[in-house]
Amino acid sequence: MFYRLAGIRHTSYAADRALWPAPVDRVQIAALLLFALAAPFLLPNLYLTSYLLPWIIWSTAALGLNLLMGWAGQIHLGYAAVMAIGAYGAIHLVRAGVPFEIAIILGGLLSAAIGLVFGFAALRVKGLYLAISTLAMQYLVDWIISHVPAISGGSQATLQAPAFRVFGIPIADDRARYYVALAICLMVTAFLLNVGRTSFGRALAAVREKDFAAAVIGVNPYRYKLLAFWCSSLLGGVAGAVLAFCYYRAVTPEQFDLDVSIQAVAMVIVGGMASVIGSYLGAALVLLAPIVLNNLVGALAHALGLPLSADVLSHIPLILYGGLIIGFLLIEPLGLAKVYDNLRNYFLVWPFRHARR
Amino acid sequence: MRKTTITYAALAALYAASIVPAAAQDKAPIKIGTALDFTTVYTFVTAEYSQGQRDYAALINARGGILGHPIEISVVDTGNQPQRGIAAYERFKEEGAVLCDFLSTPVSRAVVPRALADGMNVITMFHGRSDAADGKVFPTIFPMTPAYWSQATSIIKYIDDQEKGDLKGKKIALVMIDSPFGREPLPVFQELAKRLGYEFQSFPYPSPGNEQSAAWTQVRRFKPDWTILWGAGGGQSVSVRDAIGNGIATDHLASVIWISETDTNIIGADQTKGLLRFEGVAYGKTLPAIEAIEEQVVAKGKGAGPADKVGGTYYNIGAASIALVAEGARIALNKEGEPLTPAKLKNGLESIKDFTGEGLLPPVTITADDHQGGGRGRIDAWDGSKWVPKSQWAAAYQDIVWDLIHKSAEEFKASGK
Amino acid sequence: MSYLAELAANGALVGLMYALTALGIVLVFKTSGVANLAQGALAMVGGYVMWWFAAALGAPLWLAIPLSLVVMFGVGRGIERVALRRMVGQPVIMIIMLTLGVEILLRGAAPALWGAVVKRLDIGIAQQPIVLGDILINRAYFWGGLVALLLIGLSLLFFTSRQGVVLRAVADDQAASWAVGIRVERAIGLSWGLAGVAAACAGILWGSVQGVDWTLSLLLIKALAVAILGGLDSIGGVLVAGIAVGVLENVIPGYVDPLVGGGTRDLVAATVILLTILVRPFGLFGREDIERV
Repeated sequence: MFYRLAGIRHTSYAADRALWPAPVDRVQIAALLLFALAAPFLLPNLYLTSYLLPWIIWSTAALGLNLLMGWAGQIHLGYAAVMAIGAYGAIHLVRAGVPFEIAIILGGLLSAAIGLVFGFAALRVKGLYLAISTLAMQYLVDWIISHVPAISGGSQATLQAPAFRVFGIPIADDRARYYVALAICLMVTAFLLNVGRTSFGRALAAVREKDFAAAVIGVNPYRYKLLAFWCSSLLGGVAGAVLAFCYYRAVTPEQFDLDVSIQAVAMVIVGGMASVIGSYLGAALVLLAPIVLNNLVGALAHALGLPLSADVLSHIPLILYGGLIIGFLLIEPLGLAKVYDNLRNYFLVWPFRHARR
Repeated sequence: MRKTTITYAALAALYAASIVPAAAQDKAPIKIGTALDFTTVYTFVTAEYSQGQRDYAALINARGGILGHPIEISVVDTGNQPQRGIAAYERFKEEGAVLCDFLSTPVSRAVVPRALADGMNVITMFHGRSDAADGKVFPTIFPMTPAYWSQATSIIKYIDDQEKGDLKGKKIALVMIDSPFGREPLPVFQELAKRLGYEFQSFPYPSPGNEQSAAWTQVRRFKPDWTILWGAGGGQSVSVRDAIGNGIATDHLASVIWISETDTNIIGADQTKGLLRFEGVAYGKTLPAIEAIEEQVVAKGKGAGPADKVGGTYYNIGAASIALVAEGARIALNKEGEPLTPAKLKNGLESIKDFTGEGLLPPVTITADDHQGGGRGRIDAWDGSKWVPKSQWAAAYQDIVWDLIHKSAEEFKASGK
Repeated sequence: MSYLAELAANGALVGLMYALTALGIVLVFKTSGVANLAQGALAMVGGYVMWWFAAALGAPLWLAIPLSLVVMFGVGRGIERVALRRMVGQPVIMIIMLTLGVEILLRGAAPALWGAVVKRLDIGIAQQPIVLGDILINRAYFWGGLVALLLIGLSLLFFTSRQGVVLRAVADDQAASWAVGIRVERAIGLSWGLAGVAAACAGILWGSVQGVDWTLSLLLIKALAVAILGGLDSIGGVLVAGIAVGVLENVIPGYVDPLVGGGTRDLVAATVILLTILVRPFGLFGREDIERV
């Protein structure tokens, strides 16, 4: 009843190939877009800067990692290192006077180049060994960043993000920063929505399923694996730069350590691999769950008058975060995207319960 | 599907209930937001520190609050992650806090630009940016305690006094954790080596410090006269144990402030007799402030944690932090009247003069230029069951310290606020 | 020269202690093909359990140690039963993520249950180092190394016993093992239990050196380096690789640190992993059946 798919006919190839052929989907997307654009005027500042902004930036990062893990089927446990390279690169470039738009792209290219080096491990090994070698590279990059003062900014080891302009408009307040982050997120989302329909995306899918079979039909797995690493690292570098400029406004090495890498992988897996909406949902859950759980547990303890020590209370979000990951993997390995899909299918045939699709 | 819907609805209602503000009280509470690291790097200090803070606030409230206003402390965990610290900071701001505390160098560094832009006060007791002592560049950041550079000078001064003023030719070793925190005092030690003539060498060990034998092997070969430890947390007990194992006498072994009775008991209370450390807040239960807390808070069962931690090193630091804030609030309310805003609290904190917190602190004076409060500390030694002061409250070589502070603050100002 | 010898000797002993944790990883991988990235967290839980028995409940050492080993055997089997059994056949990234989730869960649960402040664990090893001429050897490392050697030897012996042959069969081909009537689930559960015991020993030994708190779970990266270098399915390899990694980790920073300004120790484990995977992915003694591109 809500998702009336009946009666939709297309009269041109373009209409048939549209991303969202059903009008109700288009309306949904339009509404979300309108809300995203109007958010600074609708939401109080707290929700804008502490919840919406990091969610958008982390969705961008999760989308970049999803390209590599979901579409190309590789494992990357060092994504935070790639983001760090983009962040530090962009900050140094803007401090040296390069305009922000160019600095972000250059930062992305820098992390793409170094991420490509990570990718060479993928040419040698697969699966578990690839995961462990990316893990080792995460440690390497971490070490290099914190031990080279030229990169990390001296013994205080914090670099402030300088004031910047985008196309001449000074970005000085929360709203402007939000719009910059939103613009980049929309661009990355548009790219990822379409990548599956391009030859690049189809080649990645072939490599993901069985790389030697892909080689047999003429898709060069070496080339496409490296391309996937390059592309995903570019997106990661851009996301890292946006994170540094729009959210943290300063970079320290701790912001991009192993825990953050694991967080990024959790976002992709909990959200659902090879799914754009999954990246958004996964980022929301992993990012906001600790904060929400913290509040919830504190309120519960207060309300029930339980004498829980601060020690226990502060560790409960960590326990719940770990439990969340385990729970999702055991119960719904396909992630939140599948949950959303189930929900959508339910409403597709509502009020009927079963129908052929 | 129904069961899950009901569960979601219940959870949502509970969550909504948790963000409803508390009922209005007679006088508006003074809200302090503490977003501390209970779970990762600062676990060695946070639980006791927070307990001290809450107990001291309970003491003030038991005495009638600050001119009738109760103090309300909200406690949140950040896991040493800057993004959670930033989110907590924004929430504290929305809830009307007048002061925030993060007890974490990375988190406080990430929040400093925002706090300066918003005019929100942040205290950084014994950690964080040492250059925040420069009140002109950092108007709302209050270390109120000796910066790491001042701690380094105090330790050297003590060593100098023990060697009767003649350090020429003596060897001093610094064994530090290989991180920005560990490397921070290097300029001070090197400058003082030039002035006083001792031979100085640094021996870093890798973070987190659970394996240091390589560094101590080198220290043993260096044959130092004095060894200084610069670490925090679990690595400290490993340092002291390796030092003893390599033949360093405990009374020639001095540590930065982050070592406590927990560490000495882990190694062995008797083996560590004579161990020296820098102290910025007095230790023990025989201080008027701690005795008042025991009487009015702990005895009435309102303590925020185990009673055997009252009077401990980190507990007293937490209590001192709230003592200073309360004093600043009191001065602000007296001078400028209600309601208390962050700007008024800033002025109040900058008017603190010779405040000792009922025995917790040396006389602390904070001005608009000097947020360090004087940089006074003393050295105390472990006697097998408690820490005993070995010198008087004094500040040392503050000219070197302020040189470094001004230089670093200038860099911050230039590099883009 | 004695400088090098001291670094090498202490390093070898520390490496053997890393090998204890790596032993758990190898045991699990050998039998079920799962890389247990929660091994560091298991070692931490082992340390906490031992502290609980010895310090909080006041049991004497001869009782506390066996009790902790038994409890950790159960914990290992429990994790396998609850979490891993449902993931059989799933893509490897899911299993890796699951073990990472277990690691995070344990890292939160252990300090929550027993307190986050670092705790003292005294297993009766004296402080004074063992003196061999000009070389000082840390006594705790010495005993740790001995225990590690003992356990590795026991494991090697175990794999020649009847139950060990069962485990080897399961490691070789699970379907064929089912076909001849071997209870594969029980065998895998047993290997996880043994991994729990190895983790407990590692946790107890390291806990006595550095105190028991959540940082014990950071043993993971060193144990991974040892396991990869030795070969993920070779127990003898764990011994050799442990000594190698330990020696390298102690000796290299001893000479390179003054040149670079410190901190090269962290690099060693990561570099060992990278070089091994790029040059000889299956390690020194591992079986050569990794799918390569």
